[in-house]
Amino acid sequence: MSQPIRARRPVRAAVGDTHPAREIGPLTQTDIVRFAGAGGDFNPLHHDPEFVRSSGFPGVISMGQLQAGILAGWLSDWLGVEHLREFEVRFVAPVFLGDVLRLSGEIVGIVAIDGPGPGPADGPDAESAVAPAAESVAEIALSVRRGDDTVVRASAKAVVASS
Amino acid sequence: MSDGKLVGTVVDEVAFDVERGKIWEFARATFTTDPVHTDADAARAAGFDDLLATPTHVVAVGHWRDQRAFVDRLGLALERVVVGSVRWQYLRPLRAGDSLRAVRRVVGDERRAGKRGGSMRVVTLETEYVDATGTPVVRQRDVLIERGKSA
Repeated sequence: MSQPIRARRPVRAAVGDTHPAREIGPLTQTDIVRFAGAGGDFNPLHHDPEFVRSSGFPGVISMGQLQAGILAGWLSDWLGVEHLREFEVRFVAPVFLGDVLRLSGEIVGIVAIDGPGPGPADGPDAESAVAPAAESVAEIALSVRRGDDTVVRASAKAVVASS
Repeated sequence: MSDGKLVGTVVDEVAFDVERGKIWEFARATFTTDPVHTDADAARAAGFDDLLATPTHVVAVGHWRDQRAFVDRLGLALERVVVGSVRWQYLRPLRAGDSLRAVRRVVGDERRAGKRGGSMRVVTLETEYVDATGTPVVRQRDVLIERGKSA
């Protein structure tokens, strides 16, 4: 892989920082089908009302990976996909057609990176004209809510500039 | 199916390419707006020579997998299985043009007491995605929960 020429710098961040919440919905069958096409999950539970009735659910449910992908995308829109190190989701409750989802997150911790960190592969770039800000790993707590209910809880780690 | 017997089993192995069109499609389907996923100039300005994939892009490997076969292979009852959690670890960002190979293994298989009595089976899978040079780029861990049969 070629090295970035003018890579985006990590976002400057501190404990307590948030990003404007994103609201998605009301979730439509089209949203679910579009994600099925993108991701390849053709479980009829997500698009076939007859099958859904026979399996005892009150209605078509979304695939957890849709909520996971939406939340991960909101996070990477904030901090930059190339700076993400880890993303973990826990599925707390099913999501149904018509649900309005609210995505939010907050930086809950900042940990200094030991050593040169994930910069250029051949060591620190001493020739760099602009000294990079100190890079740290931020811990982020995230959630997807429907009204007062949490449907997804998540945590993530991403490289940020901390000073 | 007795506990732990499947640990170490390779569930499946899949090869696939990270494609521009699929990146665009996945970004749109997940309401992701950063132009590095849809505009090659934006990706270049960020220092990459092609579109970057969204964080959960490897999920698209579902197109190349036979989900029914893997559930059968693990001896799970599909109608009682839910995904409890998923974790991705990123060793580098994926971009259009990457050729990946994904090996999915069972790393945990145990019974736990359910919250409302009975027992549930918890199967943990780990998928390692390596690039064309054999270097790991993403690791994914899925925790599947099979609820006990209701009385």
